[in-house]
Amino acid sequence: MRTRYVLGTVLTLVLAIALVGCGGAAKQADTIKIGWFGPLTGDTALWGQAELNSVKMMIDDYNAAGGIKVGSKTYKLEVIGYDDKGDSTEAVNVAKRLSSQDHVVAIVGPQGSGEAIPVAPILAAAKVPYVASTATNPKVTVTESGAVNQYSFRACFTDPYQGKVAAYFAYQKLEKRNAAIFMTVDDSYSAGLAQYFKESFEKLGGKIVAEVSFTAGEKDFRAPLTKIKAANPDIIFMPNYYTDVALSAKQARDLGINQVLLGGDGWPSENLISLAGNALEGSMFINHLDFDGDIAKPFRDEYKAKYGKVAELNSYMIHDALLMVIDAIQRSGSLDGEKIKNALETCDIEGVTGHIKIGPTHDPVGKDAWLIKIIGPNMVFQEKFAAKD
Amino acid sequence: MTQFLQQLVNGLSIGSIYALMAVGYSLVYSIMNFSNFAHGSVIMLGAYFGFFSMTLLGLPFIPSFFVAAFGSAIIAVSLERLAYKPLRDRKAPFLYFIITAMGASIFIDNFVIATIGPTPKMYPQIFAQGPIMLGEIALGRIDLAMFGISAVCLLALILFIDHTKMGKAVQATAYNMKASALMGVNPNFVIILVFAIGGALAGVAGVLYGMKYQVFPQIGAITLKSFIAAVFGGLGSLPGALLGALLLGLIETFVSGYLSTQYRDLIAFLILIAMLIVRPTGIMGKNAEDKA
Amino acid sequence: MEYILGIFELSAINLVAVLGLSILTGFTGLFSFGHAGFMAIGAYVGAIVTARLHLPFVAAILAAGLVAGIISIGIGRLTLKLKGDYFCIATMGFGEAIRLILNNWAWVGGARGWESIPQFKGISVSLPFIVAIISVILVWNMVNSRQGRNMVAVREEELAAQMAGINVMRTKMMALVTSAVLAGIAGALMANFVGFIAPKTFNMTKSTELTIIVIFGGIGSISGSVLGALLLTALPEIFRAFSDWRLVFYGLAVIVIMVGRPQGLLGGMELTPAGLRKAAAANKAKAALLAESRAMEKRGEI
Repeated sequence: MRTRYVLGTVLTLVLAIALVGCGGAAKQADTIKIGWFGPLTGDTALWGQAELNSVKMMIDDYNAAGGIKVGSKTYKLEVIGYDDKGDSTEAVNVAKRLSSQDHVVAIVGPQGSGEAIPVAPILAAAKVPYVASTATNPKVTVTESGAVNQYSFRACFTDPYQGKVAAYFAYQKLEKRNAAIFMTVDDSYSAGLAQYFKESFEKLGGKIVAEVSFTAGEKDFRAPLTKIKAANPDIIFMPNYYTDVALSAKQARDLGINQVLLGGDGWPSENLISLAGNALEGSMFINHLDFDGDIAKPFRDEYKAKYGKVAELNSYMIHDALLMVIDAIQRSGSLDGEKIKNALETCDIEGVTGHIKIGPTHDPVGKDAWLIKIIGPNMVFQEKFAAKD
Repeated sequence: MTQFLQQLVNGLSIGSIYALMAVGYSLVYSIMNFSNFAHGSVIMLGAYFGFFSMTLLGLPFIPSFFVAAFGSAIIAVSLERLAYKPLRDRKAPFLYFIITAMGASIFIDNFVIATIGPTPKMYPQIFAQGPIMLGEIALGRIDLAMFGISAVCLLALILFIDHTKMGKAVQATAYNMKASALMGVNPNFVIILVFAIGGALAGVAGVLYGMKYQVFPQIGAITLKSFIAAVFGGLGSLPGALLGALLLGLIETFVSGYLSTQYRDLIAFLILIAMLIVRPTGIMGKNAEDKA
Repeated sequence: MEYILGIFELSAINLVAVLGLSILTGFTGLFSFGHAGFMAIGAYVGAIVTARLHLPFVAAILAAGLVAGIISIGIGRLTLKLKGDYFCIATMGFGEAIRLILNNWAWVGGARGWESIPQFKGISVSLPFIVAIISVILVWNMVNSRQGRNMVAVREEELAAQMAGINVMRTKMMALVTSAVLAGIAGALMANFVGFIAPKTFNMTKSTELTIIVIFGGIGSISGSVLGALLLTALPEIFRAFSDWRLVFYGLAVIVIMVGRPQGLLGGMELTPAGLRKAAAANKAKAALLAESRAMEKRGEI
């Protein structure tokens, strides 16, 4: 009797999988599906959630205005979003799902370089272009051998540029000569940014007195920080994500390390200052825009009104990524992946994060870097900085 | 030289956290003869209990400690009653306990991720920012407080085990459960007691950890290190757990400071493996019984 | 359609690893929390063979299994003499150590991972399926051989098995090596399938998941492992909306199974006509015994 019961359950389950699996997505004739993926769980979930919120909000706005016109037809928009858990293997999985199962015409995101890089060959094979939001590692669009990933684009500047800006700012503007680097060794973004900072800083004549790293997930930074203290730098470059930045800054201050800290675009977050207390007072970081500026204001207000939270950096970046995609779809007059990809290659628009003109490597050319200083509980815009030789 | 002394302080500071956690592992092991992997999750819950009692309930620092200790003790005992006791009654093989413990820890950790969320939280600032400087060496205020609290807890534990009747009952049961049962000690009671104490210690450790770093659901995974410390010092031995923890903290810090942070975890696991191969009973452990 | 195929391929890959673990855990009674380490070895060896040495994929699979097997002999020598949970802890230690070594090895990409691994599709049928089917046949033969019976004997009562003349250490070693070889092959298949590998994929959570699948499917049942691998790979994809809760469910499932139904789904049973008949016969015999003892009670004989 019991064996039959087990058999029955088993068969039902197998059948269920088959049915659900083969069901597939019923294609609606006048809806354009845009894919999104990013971290909805994990350390950077805050940003992933912010991105998805922004995309949904923008899509609602477009649909409320009647949809978008492509060629002679008007389409509604729909977003299909998945959690990549901040994990590369998971990103590959969801990229496959979005392209071959959900049949999206384009994808906005991901945000992490670690996720944006491995999906390049998959989305290229499926002919689905994607515009990464904050993935700054150069390998997202250009492979090690120098070939451009045909279907990969991004809305942000790249790490070589960001590292250069940081180095030039520290050397020329802040007049520091001895820098220490404190990075996350197993993160492409952090390690890449650190490498470019080092190259530029040394080229200017500066000296890197200590180069110390930790692994993601680490919470006690005292041992490596002590090494930095012993090297006595003028400034400490910390190209890490905000949770680690807050914690390491606190621990640094507790060790008596009082130098100014400099960081990249992994810093900006609403939680950064609440987690760090006053450990980041006077420290600075590079951002993609001025949060409190006029260009961003309408979006910022709408986001706050709709979600009750302050928009994160990623909200603005994904906003521009989506603008790029929609612009490309409309200019190409088609829903064909290859045509949209071609249109993206000549993208030249104004977003909330500045002027975005796509260059030959599928990256925006000459995008502004904004220097922000932490004063009290606020992130105060200092200046736009361009690295000039 | 300064760097060496500072790293020494760093190492002892990490070690003292491991110590409080490792003692809990060893305590349960000495009675139940299995490694309660769910201990890490109880520590994590302790951190959250303390956090919520300070932020939501608005309790001051000291009462929050007790809330955390109490809450964690309850969780630990519930775990024992719901998951381990049925296995004990069924005389299940010891391996089932470890698997169940793993399952419980996965369940609790991910339950917190799914409900409260993975974003780290910060304890309200109790102590003033900035260290107390002893010459060039920085001593964190939180570290000093933690040292003190850990010392008090461990002292209380030792007094309890060695100088009270109940403590003797625990020792007797650890030595031989059947024999002490014959002598009139109620094994169920002792087991509940041990889990409660272990849980309370875990709660305190959790709050201290949360205060020193942050509160996040993966705290349980990090306390795997304290488990290594317990094995290192000898599972089942409380002084062993203490010694193992301090040693591990020091070794980790020096590897991290003088070699590279990347090797730190690797060295910890290599120590674990080496210990298991060469001397499974650890530095001070009791003799391994036949566990077949 | 490609997506569905992908899910089944992933299930097949997991199955190969699970079959291996099933031999070790299900049939020989040794729990391992470090099997992701063998998968990692296989994945990286396979990737080195195809990406660096530019050899055909078949060579990658063979090399992966071979290297994983050899390393497992070394590990086995050191750890198989440990009792009960000390063995578990040791495997956990090795699994993590392997992961951390890979993390620090820049030549294979280190912690950031290794992308653009050459991907070979199957001939006409997909490669993972072929390997999975071969694995099932091999494992089935092993289980039904004397080796298999020895393993079960060691699982049930090690001391008695030793007295009956079974070389316990050799039996355990064979089980470990077989399970490592299969895990290594699965790792190579995984690297080929995803095209990208990183050490953190092969962490303790992965090891625990493999063990959970074996327990869920049922200890001592090959069809249980097959079913478990299929269900626990496919279901999370279907229930993607609840992906937060997937691990919560796994943890709870483990506790419930261990406490309530330790034999899992198909423990000790096989989903073949012969297997079902055997299970039905066993049930009938048990029921008969129960009825008989009740009757005896009534008659006052007990």
